[in-house]
Amino acid sequence: MCCAGAFLFALAPTAHAEDASSPVEVHGFVSQGFIKTTENNYLADSKRGSFEFAEVGVNFTKSFTDQLRVGLQLFTRDLGPIGNYTPQLDWFYLDYRFWDWLGIRAGRTKLPFGLYNETNDIDSARVPILLPQSVYPITSRDYLLAQTGAELYGRVPLEGAGSLEYRAYGGTIYLDTTASASTIARLTVPYVVGGRLIWQTPLEGLQVGGSVQAIRLDLDYQPPAALVTKLQMDGSLPADFRGPLKIEAPVLLTVGSVEYQTGDLLLAAEYSRWRAKLESPIQVLVADTDTVSERGYLMTSYRTAPWLSPGLYYSVFFKDVDHRSGRDAYQHDVAATLRFDLTDHWLLKLEGHYMHGTGALASAQNDNQPTKTLAADWGLLLLKTTAYF
Amino acid sequence: MLALGALAWLTALGSFPGASAVAGETEFRVIVDPDNSTTSAPRELLAEAFLKTSTRWPDGELIRPVDQRPESTARKGFSQSVLKRSVGAIRSYWQQRIFSGRDVPPPELDSDDAIVRYVSEHRGAVGYVSASTRSGRTKVVTVK
Repeated sequence: MCCAGAFLFALAPTAHAEDASSPVEVHGFVSQGFIKTTENNYLADSKRGSFEFAEVGVNFTKSFTDQLRVGLQLFTRDLGPIGNYTPQLDWFYLDYRFWDWLGIRAGRTKLPFGLYNETNDIDSARVPILLPQSVYPITSRDYLLAQTGAELYGRVPLEGAGSLEYRAYGGTIYLDTTASASTIARLTVPYVVGGRLIWQTPLEGLQVGGSVQAIRLDLDYQPPAALVTKLQMDGSLPADFRGPLKIEAPVLLTVGSVEYQTGDLLLAAEYSRWRAKLESPIQVLVADTDTVSERGYLMTSYRTAPWLSPGLYYSVFFKDVDHRSGRDAYQHDVAATLRFDLTDHWLLKLEGHYMHGTGALASAQNDNQPTKTLAADWGLLLLKTTAYF
Repeated sequence: MLALGALAWLTALGSFPGASAVAGETEFRVIVDPDNSTTSAPRELLAEAFLKTSTRWPDGELIRPVDQRPESTARKGFSQSVLKRSVGAIRSYWQQRIFSGRDVPPPELDSDDAIVRYVSEHRGAVGYVSASTRSGRTKVVTVK
């Protein structure tokens, strides 16, 4: 590995010393949103209206040579019960680009899953306030946004047939379990590996791609003492069991993507399946499961004037492809957005959603009512303003 | 689908006569540093250079793109004709790159004169200026 690295360094074009004096680039953003639903709490205490929808980030990038760059971003957010303004190192990396077709990054890097996972929390980079939540659930940001490890990347021209952009990565994800349910004593990620391949077709602006990501979560589950005692009394659990129960949850995520951009028009569509297993050593406490969820959306936006960009999407989510009936089995979402660019560094967005189904709702945010009893048809209104530089 | 095909067809109709390019009523000229051996550059290479997906000239020299401010007419013309997207779409592209930690945009300078000065002083530099601007020591290249 060491020799291969030295070989690649020796082959790569010579770096220019003048880049050592390049300035540190500083960029940042501040967002504040408001969220209101007609029925059901979604993401926050939204039925009464909530301002718990804010993000702040600042990043620093420095090029030491024309091939070597380092960067980091500090980030904090509040989204209902999530975040609570706890600052975190969102990403940091050391990036060495040998050639356009081969570069390597090490550190904590955003996961290239689908077209927009890396920009899920970057309000200024898109028209919708919420990306289609079937493929980019904002509540799963900690699991899906970034990994700590290494990544190979590059872009390979295909003479006359466009180009291929690839990303391949492997590492782990550090999760903060302090806010997790008390029954989860420990949550670790032994590995996350994956990649993305995007073909930039000869039709300029049209790109087609696929992503795959495999991740395993290991959970230490401490079952309630009353349950343990009951099961030990009837002999279905060993008398010396004290816990915790070690559960493995391998997850495989796949997504196919197509995007067309020309002038001020954007068209995008993605289809995704996530397979999640639960493997438990003691079935009476936690039974094994194997579930495949289905996700997809169609999206468009068009900049009608430098200051106005309307957008529209339809997103659908089925929790389990084998059980598609019942309001809690799915979530249909039709969203319309107006983005107003008030200045070059300040924007305002207004977004309305018609929701059918309760598959994206959480019982815990709705007085622990089962999601199948929540209102099946509901509306969501979002307002958000972002300043960035 | 028909609309998409028509859009793609209209996009493909862009042409780049001589040393200057015309987009609506906006003219601009692409300039490179005086030591650059390039006399003409494919539009695709320029687009990749300004999006930083290609970083080397054919002779291996590092490409150093330099942009005008978003409100400049030369930038609007260059963006539509060479990058095939509006300035707003390109700014969104850079927002994605910046905040996902992938890259930072080319430097933005205030005037044609500043662009000419930058390009003449930096090896591998490439920029664009209004068609009426004196190109000084820089070399004007044809966009193919």
